[in-house]
Amino acid sequence: MSGVPASAFLSLALILFCIGLYGALTKRNTVIVLVSIELMLNAVNINLVTFSKYGMMPNITGQVFALFAMSVAAAEAAVGLAILFALYRNKKSVNIDEMDAMKN
Amino acid sequence: MELEQLLDFKWSIMTPEFIILGVATLLSILDLFMPKSMDRKILGWIGVAGIAAATVSLAGFIDEPVTSILFDTFRLDSFAKAFKFILLIGSLFVLLLAISFEKKDGLAEFAGEFYYLFLTALLGAMFMASSGDLITLFIGLELLTISSWVLVGVTKRNKKSNESAMKYVINGGISTAITLFGLSYIYGLTGTTNIKDMSGTLMTMGGSQNQLYLLAIAFFMTLVGLSFKLATAPFHMWAPDVYEGAPTPVTAFLSIVSKTAGFVIIVRIFVSIFGSVPATGAQDALPMLLHLQDYIGFLAGATMIIGNVIALRQRNIKRMFAYSSIAHAGYILVAFTSMSYFTFDAIWFYLLAYLFMNVGAFAIIQLVGAKAGSDDISAYAGLYRRAPILAVTFAVLILSLAGIPGTAGFIGKLNIFMGAFATEPAHYVLASILIATSVVSYFYYFGIMTQMFFRPAADDSKFNIPVALLVVLIGSVVGTIALGILPNIAFDFLHDNFMQFKDFLQ
Repeated sequence: MSGVPASAFLSLALILFCIGLYGALTKRNTVIVLVSIELMLNAVNINLVTFSKYGMMPNITGQVFALFAMSVAAAEAAVGLAILFALYRNKKSVNIDEMDAMKN
Repeated sequence: MELEQLLDFKWSIMTPEFIILGVATLLSILDLFMPKSMDRKILGWIGVAGIAAATVSLAGFIDEPVTSILFDTFRLDSFAKAFKFILLIGSLFVLLLAISFEKKDGLAEFAGEFYYLFLTALLGAMFMASSGDLITLFIGLELLTISSWVLVGVTKRNKKSNESAMKYVINGGISTAITLFGLSYIYGLTGTTNIKDMSGTLMTMGGSQNQLYLLAIAFFMTLVGLSFKLATAPFHMWAPDVYEGAPTPVTAFLSIVSKTAGFVIIVRIFVSIFGSVPATGAQDALPMLLHLQDYIGFLAGATMIIGNVIALRQRNIKRMFAYSSIAHAGYILVAFTSMSYFTFDAIWFYLLAYLFMNVGAFAIIQLVGAKAGSDDISAYAGLYRRAPILAVTFAVLILSLAGIPGTAGFIGKLNIFMGAFATEPAHYVLASILIATSVVSYFYYFGIMTQMFFRPAADDSKFNIPVALLVVLIGSVVGTIALGILPNIAFDFLHDNFMQFKDFLQ
């Protein structure tokens, strides 16, 4: 572990975040979009844990923040999937392109 | 932590939050044990009583000096108190709207949840208003956001509601992730999540070029993430769909309480963190917030223009109000950009005025929408013939939204306008966009008035206004006119009790 510099972890987090953002903005399947959002949130967790070990002033707070972020991400995923279920029951589709009932 | 230490905290300053939490818990238990056939309206009234009790208990703390508990994660300063009043009064009105909302599309089954989720969302917003730590700020934000997702999708047999909830979840999730990513960099540079310690560390840091780059990235990511919450252009795309699909009380909640909470968090983070970082290595340089304020100004200008111009071509009144609420967020951002001596006062007053005029407008939208079965503007044709008092009420609220003298909206805009000139250099461009777009907004606001006063009515049926809705209408009209004619009521209240928010950074 000690041989890996902090910048490697930060780059990993940044790349994961960008993959997540790209997926969330381009994918057509809502489930994949929700997964991509989770990816973005987990990139943040990597950042927080890295900073809590290698940051300017390393301390435990970053890991505590990461724990809170994880539990909130779980709640978000649960509500997101529940809403997707309700939508699927009415529309029989999880395709984002078909969510176009409201247009001006 | 020792038990003694835990008991030593001054828990009493959290009384308003405890009341809301207790009432929300009570409602969820009552909802569980009430027979299926019983009307859930009583739960709504208990919720209203709870919010009123919390407001009274908050008023009891008005002279309390700045207090913080739990290692400074929860602080009760004048900023928190002033904005909690807006959040509480706004939620009170919204809950009254919810009580008189017709329970259809599967909502009757979940009427209990419909009431207590408003309370949990309010709890999140209140925690945001008085948090002194990024973790509590984030938890409060998410409690508000997740509760409002459920609320938007609560009419689960309605396709529009499902769809708007899904869009809200996706946009909200992305914005949360972007905000958090920005916040994680700030944590990395300061090694603390406490907002006060952060500003202290950053002030003395001096900062190498690399650190300043990272901070600037953090600034932009946080700004983008929170812009989603405020629905400012170009991150406003979700707002019209969500506002249209959500049940009307929820739409009112999003445009009043959720927006207030968004401004609370943006002021908290930006003024206390980025307001204290020197933008260059030198100690006496401008704070980063002022150095980068042109970008916030750009957001404000784009928001005002896009919101008002696109509202012109809307036929659905809820969509039109979504764009109008986007435009109003732009006006408030002008106050935030100018960062003058009056900024806090102007933001507070505008949000209060916006609360009154908007909640009344949504009460009428809900009433007319339920009667006509559609939210199209043509449903307002001949409203003056059918219900003269209702039409005049709506006209007063619309005039206030448009910013006509004699109403609260005018005073609010005037404050923001003056604030834009009170700084050096003055924000001429933003001020002129503010005036120009206000004139543009007259067209769509007066379009509704034309329908109400000059078009023949499709049918002559009368309205019967439920008691709860009547309270909202009277409250909003009285508030709008009183703040328009005697704005000093609000300003004296602010000056006597909150001393210009001097304790914000203490």
